[in-house]
Amino acid sequence: MTRPCIALLLAVSPGPALAQSTSTSPLDPPPNGVRRIDPGYHAFTNATLHASPGQTIERGGLVFRDGVITWVGSLSGMTPVPDGATVHDATGLHIYPGFIDAFVEVDPPETTESSLVAHWNPMVRPEREAIRGPGIADSDRSQLRELGFVAAHITPRGGTFRGLSGVVSLGEPPDDPSLGDPPIYLDHAGNVVSFERTRGRPDGSGYPVSHMGAVALIRQTLIDSDWQRSARAGGRDIPRNALDAIDPDLPLVFDTDHPLKVLSAAGIADEFDRAAIVVGDGREYQRLDAIAAQRLSLVLPLRFPADPDVSSIGAIDALDLTDLQAWEQAPTNSARCLERGLEVALTSSKLKQRSAFRKNLRRAIEAGLSQDDALACLTTTPAHMLGVDDRLGSLDPGKVASFIVADGPIFDEDTTILEIWIDGHRHRIHEPTRDDIAGTWAFTFGQDPSHDGTLTISFEDGKPRVVGRSNGEGGEEIEARDVVLQDNRLSYVIDMPDGSGGVAVTIVFQGNRLFGTLLTPDGRVLHFTGSRAEQADAQPDEDSDEDDGGPSDVIPDRTGRRFGPYALYETPPQETALFVNATIWTESDAGILRDGWIFIEDGRISALGTGPAPRGRPNTRIIDCAGKHITPGIIDAHSHTGLFALGVNEGSQACTAEVRIHDDLDPGHINWYRQLAAGVTTVNSLHGSANPIGGQNAIHKVRWGAQHPDEMLMEGARPGIKFALGENVKQSNWGDDYTVRYPQTRMGVETFIRDRFLAAREYAQSRDPLRRRDLELDALAEILAGDRLIHCHSYRQDEILMLCRIAEEFGFTIGSFQHVLEGYKVAEYIKRFALGASCFSDWWAYKVEVQDAIPYNGPIMHAVGVTVSYNSDSDDLVRRLNTEAAKAVKYGGLDPHEALKFVTINPAIQLGIDDRVGSLEAGKDADLVIWSGDPLSTSSVCEATWIDGREYFSIEKDAQLRRTNEAERQRILAKLLKNKKNRKGTGEDAEKDASEETQAEPDDPRSAILDRLSLEYLDNLFDGHDDTCAQCSDESWLHAIIRQK
Amino acid sequence: MTHARLTCHAPERTIARTIARCFALLSLALVAITPARAQDLIHKAPPQQMPIAITGGTLHTGDGRVIENAWIQIRDGRIADLGTGDRLFTADHILVDARGKHIYPGLISPVTILGLTEIGAVRATHDSNETGQFTPEVRASVAVNPDSTLLPVARSGGILIAGVFPRGGRVSGSPSAIRLDGWTTEDMTIVDRLGIAVSFPQVRPVTDWWMTRPVSEQQERIDENLAELADFFDRLEAYAAAKAAGQEIPVDQGLEAAMIVLPGENQKPVFVRAQDLDQITAAVTFFTDRGMRPVIVGGRDAPLCADLLKAHDVPVIIPGTQAFPKRADLPHDHAYTLPARLEDLGVRWCLASGDEAANERNLPHQAGKAVAFGLDPETAVSAMTLRSAQILGIDDAYGSIAKGKSATLVICDGDILEVASNVEWACIDGRVIDLQNKHTQLRDKYLDKYRQMGLIQDD
Repeated sequence: MTRPCIALLLAVSPGPALAQSTSTSPLDPPPNGVRRIDPGYHAFTNATLHASPGQTIERGGLVFRDGVITWVGSLSGMTPVPDGATVHDATGLHIYPGFIDAFVEVDPPETTESSLVAHWNPMVRPEREAIRGPGIADSDRSQLRELGFVAAHITPRGGTFRGLSGVVSLGEPPDDPSLGDPPIYLDHAGNVVSFERTRGRPDGSGYPVSHMGAVALIRQTLIDSDWQRSARAGGRDIPRNALDAIDPDLPLVFDTDHPLKVLSAAGIADEFDRAAIVVGDGREYQRLDAIAAQRLSLVLPLRFPADPDVSSIGAIDALDLTDLQAWEQAPTNSARCLERGLEVALTSSKLKQRSAFRKNLRRAIEAGLSQDDALACLTTTPAHMLGVDDRLGSLDPGKVASFIVADGPIFDEDTTILEIWIDGHRHRIHEPTRDDIAGTWAFTFGQDPSHDGTLTISFEDGKPRVVGRSNGEGGEEIEARDVVLQDNRLSYVIDMPDGSGGVAVTIVFQGNRLFGTLLTPDGRVLHFTGSRAEQADAQPDEDSDEDDGGPSDVIPDRTGRRFGPYALYETPPQETALFVNATIWTESDAGILRDGWIFIEDGRISALGTGPAPRGRPNTRIIDCAGKHITPGIIDAHSHTGLFALGVNEGSQACTAEVRIHDDLDPGHINWYRQLAAGVTTVNSLHGSANPIGGQNAIHKVRWGAQHPDEMLMEGARPGIKFALGENVKQSNWGDDYTVRYPQTRMGVETFIRDRFLAAREYAQSRDPLRRRDLELDALAEILAGDRLIHCHSYRQDEILMLCRIAEEFGFTIGSFQHVLEGYKVAEYIKRFALGASCFSDWWAYKVEVQDAIPYNGPIMHAVGVTVSYNSDSDDLVRRLNTEAAKAVKYGGLDPHEALKFVTINPAIQLGIDDRVGSLEAGKDADLVIWSGDPLSTSSVCEATWIDGREYFSIEKDAQLRRTNEAERQRILAKLLKNKKNRKGTGEDAEKDASEETQAEPDDPRSAILDRLSLEYLDNLFDGHDDTCAQCSDESWLHAIIRQK
Repeated sequence: MTHARLTCHAPERTIARTIARCFALLSLALVAITPARAQDLIHKAPPQQMPIAITGGTLHTGDGRVIENAWIQIRDGRIADLGTGDRLFTADHILVDARGKHIYPGLISPVTILGLTEIGAVRATHDSNETGQFTPEVRASVAVNPDSTLLPVARSGGILIAGVFPRGGRVSGSPSAIRLDGWTTEDMTIVDRLGIAVSFPQVRPVTDWWMTRPVSEQQERIDENLAELADFFDRLEAYAAAKAAGQEIPVDQGLEAAMIVLPGENQKPVFVRAQDLDQITAAVTFFTDRGMRPVIVGGRDAPLCADLLKAHDVPVIIPGTQAFPKRADLPHDHAYTLPARLEDLGVRWCLASGDEAANERNLPHQAGKAVAFGLDPETAVSAMTLRSAQILGIDDAYGSIAKGKSATLVICDGDILEVASNVEWACIDGRVIDLQNKHTQLRDKYLDKYRQMGLIQDD
């Protein structure tokens, strides 16, 4: 009755798409000898069939022919035997669609078509094709199959523009090459891109060496590829070249190693209107609010930090809350991303050991990933994401017969994958485990019943344990030793109780019977037989349930804004507030207002004055500032805070005007919060000084809690760029290898800068309709047009004057001279050619070109009429810019109100943002600081910091956040200090060594530095300071190493 | 040529004039003593000839007391007498009017490389780090450059005495106490060998993201480092015992130098760098077990083991308040509050700058930060004066203003903890110090340039 039914189904199903018994490719060789025919027609019956996520068929059947599924359905009440099909009785087994690994890196071929012109930069190799290379190594392929994967998205390894990815089968190539290789499902799935940097070459070149450099290189390459198409359309003859491999219809596949790089990727995809598939690093939950707002698909690794070291009080005290939270939260990553509506596929890559994948997947499921979602992330989602869902991802007629046969639910700990079928071919993974021999068996020697007895076989961690007991009197339990199970043969040794020696035993099991042989110490060989006495009961879990599954095991949501210490869950509200009874330092012509008031609303200052305050509106918050001082928010004109990828410098070329420091911004860096606590509200984030023309700067407001770096950008701020002169740009202190790059002298610095401006002028004046857009020259042309301000690192008077004359020659105004240590020698020129000078208050003696640095520099320039600011160039110094301003009083006798301008309105003028910030005046941004006393006094502390009318910091809120931190810390530590057996969510059991998951990758440019510093740390030789720990926790110390002052 | 264009317009000129006047006042006061000279050519102070009488100031004695309207009589380089209220001095006295001003003991920078370095980026000017792991024989005092431009700059901030420390290696050398004025190294030296300087090894493997070395390798290094340190002190004790027993053995300069830290009369301290909790407890027990007197330099985690420190009366030299908390989740002011926390726990401590040698002049501002975050101001002064002298072992003559002690003191136009204040007058052992330095000289030179150009005016 069922047979015709199935036959009918088979008859109407489409013909075989892939003939597996003989190759269809004209490229394959003829067979060696006679053809070997595999009928390739199979039917699986009585399986628990998980056809697709959420769709489970009990007593399911699966029929496929020549590698293509022809029928899937329920066999309830029927016994189907399709004519001619090999029938596999899958009773008790589970069948799942095969998994797709959405990211497997492969070595691409070294060379491609020789006729193709390569890109100048070896990091740009878009023409490489993953499918043309050696593919996935055999060992990796078999490991992937063991984990349940049947197909993989393979991407070329290494480089910035890496090449074209493809989707391939993970089937084993047949022994007979005439049968053809396993299929390639998709030749070109995407253009693979990463933000990989070079480690720099010995002479300092090797663009890009920074994240921002990589971003610029990717953008320029995409511009060039678009331009090339339109230029050809416009009649320009351009030979075929590497950029032709960049296909605007393919998605960009980004490989990232930091959640902020996910945002960089999304930004680029948006700018060039490309679909984006982003391979993450497992920490996306830390920046989820921003990532969830992006248009992208995610591929996530299941990478979890090792257990933090709680082995001593000292170790515990060194544990950062960030690391504790990361340890707890990491397993929730995929579930949290899905909750936010992101499309998520999983990969087994990026683990230290790929074999940890299934274990980590179980941890993800314990942490909230539903089993259906987990299955989707491994099947339908990657199939859809990669555009192969017509063939892969689920068990449906017409799709490829690639599936998993397991002895239980796939995500269960004790489930074993028995077979993987790929393209209709069987790959045996595990013979069914023989733990079915567990239980108690009765055996008999058939002669003397007193020798008969029972055997109890159990398994612990997959290892068999045998306990024997003789029926005779005094029959004690004897534990066997050296137990080995080979297939169905169990062998062990039993020590004679009288100490006369060991008895070797081998038992063959078949069904419910056993056949045994033993060798006694005196050389006798005896045989016995037996049968199952009773089935072993499932052992109750030895672990107490008390600690498991309780409410404490629910992992609280710490994604997005909730992640990290001092996290503000929400942006503070914009308040309507009235500050009264304050001493107000306006830093405007109004001077200091005693007994003053300020009224703010909608993020702006609406009014301020002295005497009786206006009546507040109903919802106005009245803040009594009796005895307190209010100043404008502090502005740091020279900051490198929170640059996450050590991205201070793209110093690999003498001019890198195309890079943007903003690309490297980490809004979550703890030093932002520490600066808020010091009254800092706005900073000028600058590129370093490794080259004469550095990158584009950005004006950031310290909007702590920002999820996306863009939220920190000060709207409408004037664009700027970093220039640098002197020792750093001529590589004087870099070591003896650095003698090649032009310029090596102050003479060359001048000519180099002039050359770039000449080029930019020609570029800007070009009338060519097909002019190629050049990001570097765009930025330089903006300087010439007066739209971008130069902020120039400078020391000696000669070079300061030099740049003044360049500005005169090209007709633009300089924004600021930075550091400008000899500015006091040429103040009249600075006054004439620049908006101002921004210096250290009193740094000197650290290198030759600062020999004439003096603390009177600022006051002298000020006396001559230069707009002067004091900056920090330091995550530490920025925390006391108010008392730095007091040095203008100390060394120049300035009036205190005038001195405070050095860190408020004056930097605002230099940065071209004085219409918005820098002073307390009606109409300006409500960026202000409440101090406990005179802001220039060392004894005063910052009590509250407001930005845009929002209270981002206050002593009260800070106290609350400290309590929150401490509670969070103790909660997670308590989890960690539980007996490991009694807690879930355990990290890797392997010996914890420092090179755990969050380690810098070996090819990371910083690894060499880290290695040196790690060694120095062990040696205690860290420049005489042994407090590396303090700064290691937040990367800023590395800035100090890398950045030249 | 450009003068006309560069002349200030009216409002700016007013400001400029005011500022120039301030500069003029600052420099004129000093020009009267010594005419402007080129860099590092400041003359050394001559020995005191005439008695000096300072009157009318607020005296911060260094031991925590404040005396208003104080007078101090200085004779032969020592404080002959001091008191409060009006007092007449004989005509042979040089009178220094300190009305409205503050008088402090000369500030002590207890751990610094002042004098052993000149230009950070130029290796030829570095003399603080001898090669080798165990070099107690080298002493700072012989290599301090009396004509370093850094010394007069530090003096102008009120720093008159320094503990100069060799660094690098495990036992870096012998630190010296110097006065920041003198024609030769010998003139400057107060104490040749204050003890020995040790960098205690890390004692716990770290697993932070930046550490590239596996735990097992780190542990090996730790064991090795500790064993080497123990070997060194075993050898030191054996050497001393052999000498005490009258055995004839060749001279080991290193051990000879280090013997001063062994138990006995005039036992000197071991200044041991340690920041981390386990490092501090290991260091304290390591040295006190051997009967030695450790002084912790660093002490970031010292509040966590205050009982142990107090049990052995181990003091802590805090290298400045300008440090980051060791963890992101710790309070932002954790380093600022370290002095107050140690004070509350009853641990003896004093303050170093922890900064580059060129910035020693800012030491009092770091103390001021601690005051803003809970420390008593006079305790802050004491932590830069008497307490430092006690911990270095030079308090018999220095560190406080008291009858019979060296007349080494400064007069400041305001609270010395405030950035805006300036030291106006100073003497070391009664010798009146020239407070000019390279910076004031360059200032005067270029103010003259703008005067010549008519861009600023003195009036």
